[in-house]
Parts: sequence; structure tokens; C-alpha cells
Amino acid sequence: MGAISIEKADRLFWLGRYTERVLTTLITYFDFYDEMIDGDEEAYRTFCDKIAIPDIYGSKENFQQRYLFDQEDPNSIISNMERAFDNAVVMRGELGTYTLAYIQMALDVLKGEGGRTDAPAYDLQQVIDYLNAFWGCMDDQVEDEVCRNIIKCGKYLERLDLYMRLGYPAKAVEKEFSKFVNRLHRSGLSYRKEDEERLAEIVALGDGWKDRGEEALEALWSIF
Amino acid sequence: MFELVDHTEDINRLLARYGVKFGIYKNNEFHEQLFPFDPLPRIISAEEFEFLDRGLSQRVRALNLFLADIYSDKKIIKDGVIPEDFVYSSKGYLPQCEGIVPPGRIYSHISGIDLVQGKDRNWYILEDNLRIPSGASYPMIARELTRRAAPSTFSRIHISDNRNYAAMLKETLDYVNTGGINVVLTPGRYNAAFFEHSYLAERSGAVLSMPQDLFVEDNKLYYRQYGGKKLQVGAVYRRLSDEYLDPLTFLPESLIGVPGLMDVYRKGNVAIVNAPGNGVADDKGIYYFVPHMIKYYLGEEAVLRNAPTYLAFYEKDRNFILEHLNRLVVKDVSEAGGYGVIFGSELTKEKLEDLAEVIRTEPRRFIAQEVIDFIDLGIVEGDHEVPRKADLRAFVLAGEKTRVWPSGLTRFSRNPDSFVVNSSQGGGFKDTWVLSR
Repeated sequence: MGAISIEKADRLFWLGRYTERVLTTLITYFDFYDEMIDGDEEAYRTFCDKIAIPDIYGSKENFQQRYLFDQEDPNSIISNMERAFDNAVVMRGELGTYTLAYIQMALDVLKGEGGRTDAPAYDLQQVIDYLNAFWGCMDDQVEDEVCRNIIKCGKYLERLDLYMRLGYPAKAVEKEFSKFVNRLHRSGLSYRKEDEERLAEIVALGDGWKDRGEEALEALWSIF
Repeated sequence: MFELVDHTEDINRLLARYGVKFGIYKNNEFHEQLFPFDPLPRIISAEEFEFLDRGLSQRVRALNLFLADIYSDKKIIKDGVIPEDFVYSSKGYLPQCEGIVPPGRIYSHISGIDLVQGKDRNWYILEDNLRIPSGASYPMIARELTRRAAPSTFSRIHISDNRNYAAMLKETLDYVNTGGINVVLTPGRYNAAFFEHSYLAERSGAVLSMPQDLFVEDNKLYYRQYGGKKLQVGAVYRRLSDEYLDPLTFLPESLIGVPGLMDVYRKGNVAIVNAPGNGVADDKGIYYFVPHMIKYYLGEEAVLRNAPTYLAFYEKDRNFILEHLNRLVVKDVSEAGGYGVIFGSELTKEKLEDLAEVIRTEPRRFIAQEVIDFIDLGIVEGDHEVPRKADLRAFVLAGEKTRVWPSGLTRFSRNPDSFVVNSSQGGGFKDTWVLSR
């Protein structure tokens, strides 16, 4: 195992979370954006409700721009990307310059667009590409297994959280839970076993997990 | 060379991609900026580099002997080569370092020596940076990228490879390592040179550490791992200033630093690179005496010249400075990074008088130098090549041997009327090619 301090472990974990948050919410945003083109103009309200962020937008147009690019909005994509970058930039030694570059480029695309795009699902595809490239590069380049396990622990916890909030099908939730637990056990992070067991029990209910959705999220949040 | 110019934008784009930036504080806010890169390199012939190598190694060897002497016997003072007051009134002199013998007896492991080449083709030393000189990472990564952009240039011209800097750094750290891992100690990501800290750590295989990652136990320094494990640290390449290294020795109110680090160092259980207290030797006032040190410690004449310098501390020099203030460049010895540099020729009569008054009141604070009319180097601006002032920061690494890195950071002013090349003042950088034959 390489030299990973408490702060670095924390940075890796949150890098995983924020990167995943940008990726999944951006993909979801594209779906809702599509709906708002010629369907329900207020679909963004459902989006805010599902991912539990305050609806401060007031209109479709405002949401479409601010949720992506408003650096003052702590829930915006760009704010989350900034946080991913803040955690990544201090991990150059562990991630490597070539891997870190994908986080830098994803952020640069968002900053470069700066709210000017009128075709976000087209213009911001690059952000998704860079983040996927980041994960690929990370798998390939980061030698330290513990380092990979911690960052993926963050990634799958975030994904599980979002999938549950967004009401994904049981199969998808079960798959992500399995990935999360696999990394959790190998990460060396200390966690609450009883919360893991509670989650496992709920996920095992199949589609019935949704009946205990709140409890599942609570267990997930208190696992560390 | 044309290929390089054609790829200027691509290279700068790649530098942005890899986060090659420096930080700057403006109005108490931190901003990260790209360091503008110019593709036209400074070219140094093999013969010229051989000369620089001799002069720079000689200088750093003498400076290391000076530091060893100042923090022990002080023979150079006793022998009247350097006035006592001049040493003890230096802000960089740290009484807390008295009697400490660092591992390998090396004080300045990584020296950044700033030079310019005059129009008379002579090289002049402008200043020595023996505390935490930065800048090696920029030409190092720029070379990596320019080789990609213009491969045929590099197969046609025989250029010494400068990408060995990280290996040289590792050898330097390993040489003084007292047992354990090497760490690069950074104050954090909001430091102006954070890119360099993280890049050099990555490339040299050292562990990038924040002060809170390190702790002292039983007179040893450890890196605290998550999960309660610890790793002993044998060498700290510190990139934070002396006064923030250890609150128990220096600034008790400091929230950064590693409590007890200086005790571990004093006992010889860790190497600190560069050694605390080096500021006494790179003081702009002490600079005046470096040729004297070379003669004193090595019995040799200095190979490289200082810029003609006057010390306001000496009455005779002070009078000269006051008489010729309008043609000299005055430097505040306590400033760095291009700050506190005043060109007399740029001041109004009233401001000259104000400056003269400050010099009279605080003579130890200032040196004055003749303005060296140094050569211009071409930079690409739009579709044209335009001349700009440029200096060279050479890096000298002292381990088992004292070696000069066959490259360096060439900084240039982007302002046609300015001699100030510092990145913090808007300057850019070039690679420095040393021809291998």
C-alpha cells in the first residue's frame, strides 16, 4: 500500500463522489432537458425534487443555464465539478498528471461554455467523455489498489445514492450495491457493519426496496 | 524551429490540460493562471554551458561552505571577510539553527541561481535563491510537450535531455535521507507554486504531504497514514518558508508547520531540503560578498561575475548610490519575486528624493546595482518575433556531487519596456536548450 494520509483518503473518497455526481446528474439532466424541449416545461421541478436540491430556478430557461453553469449555486454541475477538481488537484502524485488532466479538461469545458450553450446535451457531451476517460485512465494508471478502492467506494456510494433517489430499477440498484460493497471491503475505510447489513437486506427485496427507500438512504448516509 | 512556432497554441493548450499553472494573490484573492510559454528556446552551446557549469558549481560549493561556517565556527567573520553585523542583521539568519549539522553537511541542496547575459556576452549573476527556489518543473514539462509537437527538431538538433530533473532531485534527496520515505512538504494547493510541488512529487516518487500529514514521535518524523499506520520520513523537501516549518521553534502563532520538526532535524534524524537558515546566504546584501567567499573557502577566483553592486550599508557606497540614484536599480533585500525592485530612471525627481531618504534611514535594507543591459531574446507575438528581456534561472543540485541541471527556466518580460521577468509580474517562460555537441 502506498502512503495515503487520512486527508488523502478523504480527498480520494470525495473525488469519487463528486465526479460521479457530475456524471450521473448530467446524464439525468439531459433526459429532463429533452423532456422540456417539447413536453413538460416544468419537468425540472421533478428533477430538483428527486435529487433533493432546492428549486431556486423559477423557470425552465433559468434552470437550464443556472443548474449547469452558476458557480454561486452550490448544487450546480459546475460547482460539483469544481469540488471534484479541488479534491483531484492535490492527488497528482497518486493519480498521475495524465489522469488528472481529464478532470481539468472536464472543468475547462464547463468554464469555457460559461452558460452560452443553447444545445447543452451536444456541447457538454465532452464533459461526460472526459469523465469516462478519467475513470478508464485511473483504472489503467493508478497502481495503488487501495487508492483505487477508496475512490471507487466514493463513486459507487454516490451512484447508489443517486440511483435510489431517482428511483432506478431494482436490478440497477442491486448491481451498484454489489460494486460498492466490493470496494468498501477492500478500501480499509472503517464503516458501520450494521448499516451495510441493513442496506443488503433492503436491496435484496428486489423492486420492494422502494417501499423502504428512505431507510435505505439513511443507512447509506450513516455507513461511514 | 518553425514547427515549434507553428505549434505554439497546441503546446499552450497541452500545458493547460496538464494544469501547468501558478497562483497569484490579488486583493487577497487567490487566482490560478497559466504560465505563458514561448516556443522559441534559449539556446546555450555546449562550451558555454561548460563555463556556466564551472561557475555555478563553484558558487554553490562556496555558498554551502559559507552556511556551514556561519552556523558553526564563523571563521569568515573572525577573519574579517564579511562584517559581523552584516550577517546577524540579515533577516535570513536564524539563531535557532546555530550548531546544527545537516545530514551530508549540505545546506543548499537545490539552488536557483538567476543570471542574465549582457550585450557584452558576459554572464552576470543577479541573485542566489537558496531557500525554496521554484521553476524547474516548467521547462521539464514543456520539453516533454515540445518533443511531441516538433519531433524532427529534436532529432536534427542535439539537445541535452532535461527530463532527468526528477531523477536528479531523487538522487539528491536519497543522498541525505536518514532512513524512511522522501516527502515534498507543501503548504497546500493555494500556494503560488503548488503545481510544481505536486508535479515534482509525482515525478520523483516522493510523497506530497501537507503539514498535518506529518508528526513527531520519539525524535523521529512520521507520515501519518489513514488507518493508524505510520511511515518514517527520512528527507523533507519542504516548499514552505523557514518560519512556518515548526511552530515550537519559529512562529508559535502559526497554524501550519510540524511541531517538533526542528528537534528531529537537530538530532540528525531527518534531512530538511533546503536547510532552514539558508536565507542568510541568499540575502541580497550578502550577495555582494559571494566572490569574496569563493576566494576565501575555495582559494579560487569567481568564474561568474556579480552585477556591479553597491551596499548602502557602507558609507562610501551609500554616497555613490545617492549620487547616481537615477541610473541604478535599487533592490529591497527583504523582498523577492520581483517586488521591491526600483529603477531609478523610472522615478520622478520627487520620488527619487523619497527613495534617497529611505536609503539614508534604512541603509541595510537596500542594495543598488548598475542596470545590466542584457540581451533580448525573441518571443513569438502574433505572427511576429519580437525582442524581450529574459533572464535564466539555473538549478544546481548538491548531493554526493554538486551538479548543474543542463537546462533552466528562462523567464521573459512580456512588456517591451520592462526588465522585470517574474511570473508574478506577468512574465512568461521559455525552455532552455543546452546543446550536447
